[in-house]
Amino acid sequence: MPNPPRPALAPRLGAALFALAALLAAAPADSPVDVPEPAELWTGPQHGYTPATLKGATVIDVGALDALLPEKPVLLDVAIMDRKPDGFPAGRPWLPAHRSIPGATWLPNAGAAPLPPDEETLFYRRVEDLTGGDRGKPVVTFCHPECWGSWNAAKRLVAKGYTRIYWLPEGVEGWQERHDTSVVRQDPAWAARSTAPQR
Amino acid sequence: MKTRHPLALGLALSTALAAALAPVPGLAAGASDSDTERQARWTEIATSIFGDRKIEPTDTLIKVDAPARAMDAALVPITLTMPEKDKIKGVHFIIDDNPSPYAAHFTFGPAADPGELKLRVRINNYTNVHAVAETTEGKLFEAQKFVKASGGCSAPMGMSDEEAMRGMGDMKMKFSGDAQSGKPVEATLMIRHPNFSGMQMNQVTRDYTPARYINKVTVSYGDANVFTMDGDISISSNPVINFAFVPKGNGPIKVAATDNQGGQWQHSFTAPSPSN
Repeated sequence: MPNPPRPALAPRLGAALFALAALLAAAPADSPVDVPEPAELWTGPQHGYTPATLKGATVIDVGALDALLPEKPVLLDVAIMDRKPDGFPAGRPWLPAHRSIPGATWLPNAGAAPLPPDEETLFYRRVEDLTGGDRGKPVVTFCHPECWGSWNAAKRLVAKGYTRIYWLPEGVEGWQERHDTSVVRQDPAWAARSTAPQR
Repeated sequence: MKTRHPLALGLALSTALAAALAPVPGLAAGASDSDTERQARWTEIATSIFGDRKIEPTDTLIKVDAPARAMDAALVPITLTMPEKDKIKGVHFIIDDNPSPYAAHFTFGPAADPGELKLRVRINNYTNVHAVAETTEGKLFEAQKFVKASGGCSAPMGMSDEEAMRGMGDMKMKFSGDAQSGKPVEATLMIRHPNFSGMQMNQVTRDYTPARYINKVTVSYGDANVFTMDGDISISSNPVINFAFVPKGNGPIKVAATDNQGGQWQHSFTAPSPSN
C-alpha cells in the first residue's frame, strides 16, 4: 500500500484508498495496480494480475536472471500445458511444443493451489533432486506474465526453507524478448504423476 | 490430404526434438540450435500435412506478410500475395508453433482472382509462419516469416460465452472498386462467430469453453466457385477474409459456412455487376 497521506488530506484520501482497497478485494485479478500479496498460496485462477512482491523471495527481471545464470540456478518452469480441445479432429496435426528458457525443468501446473497431496510431495521431491538437497541453491520460478503459478511455486519453496528463491514474473515471454527459447519436454518424473485439472 | 496417426507423429516429433536437443548442455543453446530446432519442427509439420511431397522455397510464387511484432496475439493480420496468380490452385497457411499448426487451407475456383488473400489468426508463441502455395501443376512452394506474438490461442474474449455467440453466423460483405467485365473485384467477408479455440478458459467459471470454430467456408459467384476455406481453431474470432473474384455473368455472391458443432449458415450478397 502507498505511504500514509498527509493529515489534511487524510479523510478524503483515506476514503479513496478504502474504496480502492474494497475494489481490489472484490476483483484483484481485474486490476493491474497494487495487487496485494496474499499471506498464503493464491487459490484463484492462475491467469491474472500478480503482486509486485513475494515475501522471502527475490523478484527478478530478465537482466537480473542473466546476471544470476553463471551460478547455474535451477530453472523451474510451471506453465500449464496446452490443452487439446475436446473433439479435436483426429486427422489434423496436434503438435503442442512448449518453448522455455533453455535448460529449464518443466513441471506443468505445479503452481496450482491446492495441489493433490501426492503431487505436492512430488513437487518438493523434484526440487530437492534438482538442488541436490542444498536449500541455499538458487532456484528461479517462472511461467508467463500475469501467471500466479510461478508465484505459488516460489511461495511453496520459501515455506520449505529454501533461502535463495527467485521469482521471474516476466516469464518465458520476458526471456524471449532478449534470448532464444528452446522446446522443453515435461519433466519425466513429473509426467508420471496423477494429473490435477489445470485451472 | 495425407495424414498419419497422431501418436506416431507425436513420437516421431519427440524423437526429432530429442535429437535436436540432445547436444544442448544446460544453457548453451545458441541461435543456430534454435534455427535447427525450428527447421526440424517445420519438417515434421510439413510431413504430417503433405506427406513426402517436395516443397520448394520461392521468392516469387507466394509471399507472406505479417507484423514482425503483433499488437494482439489473438488478432494477427496476415497477407498472402501470389503475384503469378494464374499458376495458383490453392494456399495452405501454417503457424509452426501453434499446438494446432494447420490454420487454413484455401482452394481457388474458376471465379477466383487468387492474387491476394488476407485473414486474421491467433498466434501462441514467437514462431515461424509458413505459406505454401500449390500450383495448377500440383507443385508446392513455401515462404516463411517469423512473427513475435504469444498467448493468442488461449486469450479469453473478454465477454461471456453467450455474448460472444450472439448473432453467430451473421455475415457482411464489402466490395471495393468498380466492376468491369473481366476485372477482379476485391471483397471483404466478415463472419460473426466466436471461433472458440477450446483452449480459452472462462475466467469466471474456470472451465474451458468448448471448441467451436468455422471449419469450412465456401464462396461462389453465380454458379462458379471463388474459394473454399478449411479452417481451424487458429483463425481469430469473428473471421475476416479479404479476397478477390472475377465477375463474369450474373451474381449473386453466395457464402456457405459450417462450424465443427453442426452450425450451418448461408448468405447471399448482391455483387457489383459489370456495367458494360
